[in-house]
Amino acid sequence: MSQENKGVWVFSELPTLAYELLGKGRTLADNLGTELVAVSIDGNTDGHDYIQRGADRVFLVNDPALTTFQVDSYADAITALVNENKPDVLLIGATRNGLEFAPRLAERLKTGCVTEATRLELDAEKKFVLLDRVTYGGNLTETHISRSKPQIATVAKGLFSPLQADPSRKGEVVKSNPTIKPSAVKILETKPKSAKGIRLTDASIIVSFGRGVRKKEDMAIIEEFAKTVGGAIGCSRPIAEDLHWMPVDQYVGLSGQKVNPKLYLAFGISGQIQHQTGIRGSRIIVAINNDPKAPIFETSDYGIVGDLYQVIPALTNAVKQLGKAQ
Amino acid sequence: MVKVIVLVKQVYQSADLKVDRSTKSLVTQGVARVISETDKNAIEEAIKIKEKLGGKVTAISMGPPEAKEALREALAMGADESCLLTDPLFEGSDAHATANVLAAAITKIVDYDVILCGTYSEDLFAFQVGPRLAEICNLPQITYATGITLDGPKVTVERDLENEHQIVEGKLPCLISVTREINEPRLPTLMAIMAASKKPMNTWTAADLGLDKEEVGFNGSLVEVLRSAVSVGERKRIMLQGEVAETAPQLVKALLQEGVLKAS
Repeated sequence: MSQENKGVWVFSELPTLAYELLGKGRTLADNLGTELVAVSIDGNTDGHDYIQRGADRVFLVNDPALTTFQVDSYADAITALVNENKPDVLLIGATRNGLEFAPRLAERLKTGCVTEATRLELDAEKKFVLLDRVTYGGNLTETHISRSKPQIATVAKGLFSPLQADPSRKGEVVKSNPTIKPSAVKILETKPKSAKGIRLTDASIIVSFGRGVRKKEDMAIIEEFAKTVGGAIGCSRPIAEDLHWMPVDQYVGLSGQKVNPKLYLAFGISGQIQHQTGIRGSRIIVAINNDPKAPIFETSDYGIVGDLYQVIPALTNAVKQLGKAQ
Repeated sequence: MVKVIVLVKQVYQSADLKVDRSTKSLVTQGVARVISETDKNAIEEAIKIKEKLGGKVTAISMGPPEAKEALREALAMGADESCLLTDPLFEGSDAHATANVLAAAITKIVDYDVILCGTYSEDLFAFQVGPRLAEICNLPQITYATGITLDGPKVTVERDLENEHQIVEGKLPCLISVTREINEPRLPTLMAIMAASKKPMNTWTAADLGLDKEEVGFNGSLVEVLRSAVSVGERKRIMLQGEVAETAPQLVKALLQEGVLKAS
């Protein structure tokens, strides 16, 4: 059965995430000696952007019922393509849509699914993909393997790099018109969230604070620093959920935002394992805390033990001085 | 009259879990078992629906015999009856096998209008069981709910997505997964806790559910856990010592050298 399944496929309704999946997918496809395929459903592309970023083939599904993501009709569309072409691997972007879609699709195809995979590697015989995922509050990393094909996995934003767009790359665009049942659920209203500044998952610098900040007014020193370094402001879970100083979308951790910035600064955050898991993808982690035993220091690159009320203004000042010196 | 099934998972209190670095394993001894956080919100929402429209709430849990405690808590919060799905054969179930077991129980219950569950479980964060169960039962799924309004055969749900809030309308029966923001779960009163012990608690095994050993547990799973290891964060752990007047510029310099900070 497994010999029949060929090709590494990627799908995300978010094009930038699809490009990242193509980046990882290209390596997997090359190692498997197979083709890399992108599936586009919402009709927003002619497919060439996917080819430029590594796809050998693009399936374009064009159906007026599919311009907005709906889990059931999207599952209809991809099920039809999968049954016809029998891919080996299917990577799905772990957006909230992707996370509800992947298991629904997997159940329909009666195949395994590993959500929020953090590492994907081929096994020794190059037959299956070994997938790591984090469990038990971030304490364990489990390696999963699918017993069936296609092997489905969801992958979060920011874990893999897209390839440079290469306008000279050649590939094939295939139009597909599968039969889609209208969705059982009707969208009555869509209200965009008020985007205050940069989204945490898009930010390259995140300035995050926790209970070390004693009063809501004191957030001003955090804001001043964030403004100086051009960072987005995040927080620990108690700041959003218990104190309501920040919106719940801004707290970082396993059950909140999982972020992958270049620089993550944790000010006055003790660093419970759930928080640490949310920031694991960061390139550099800095911790400032007055407790030398705070767990955050264990998983930081740079640490200063000290009073954040003194350290942060000093840091702001140091960054500002730097600007002047140049 | 609305009949609500609510799915409950018992988990270890995640904030108290630690790993033993010498044995490289999870320490669960002495860690309390609790209802997974968003499942608690699902129970609360089910009870709210019942209080408003009348009806019945049935709490279901698949797990070891200890999961009875989670169901007892659901009963104390206000559920009317509960079913514990427990069998050594269920051990090692992945999301697919778990959904199979839950689907068998739901098929046995037959009469329901809506299934509520948490969006994720606190221990595995897989987001899978709800959608898989909805697929097996051929039900529409509405996920990430922050508000639910039932009106006859219709349900209106507010949903929380990354970049937008959505209001959607579906028909019953359906499966709805809820977020932590939907409500504040109640604490049962002592009276309610005592009354809960008199409410029905059924225990169903694989045989009771007509499930074969190939459909559940390790054998019935589609994904295998090959190994599990203690998560390690490989970090530099450089501590800058001294007065703030020295450490602050040192840190800024180090971040510039790492290429993660630019002079503004």
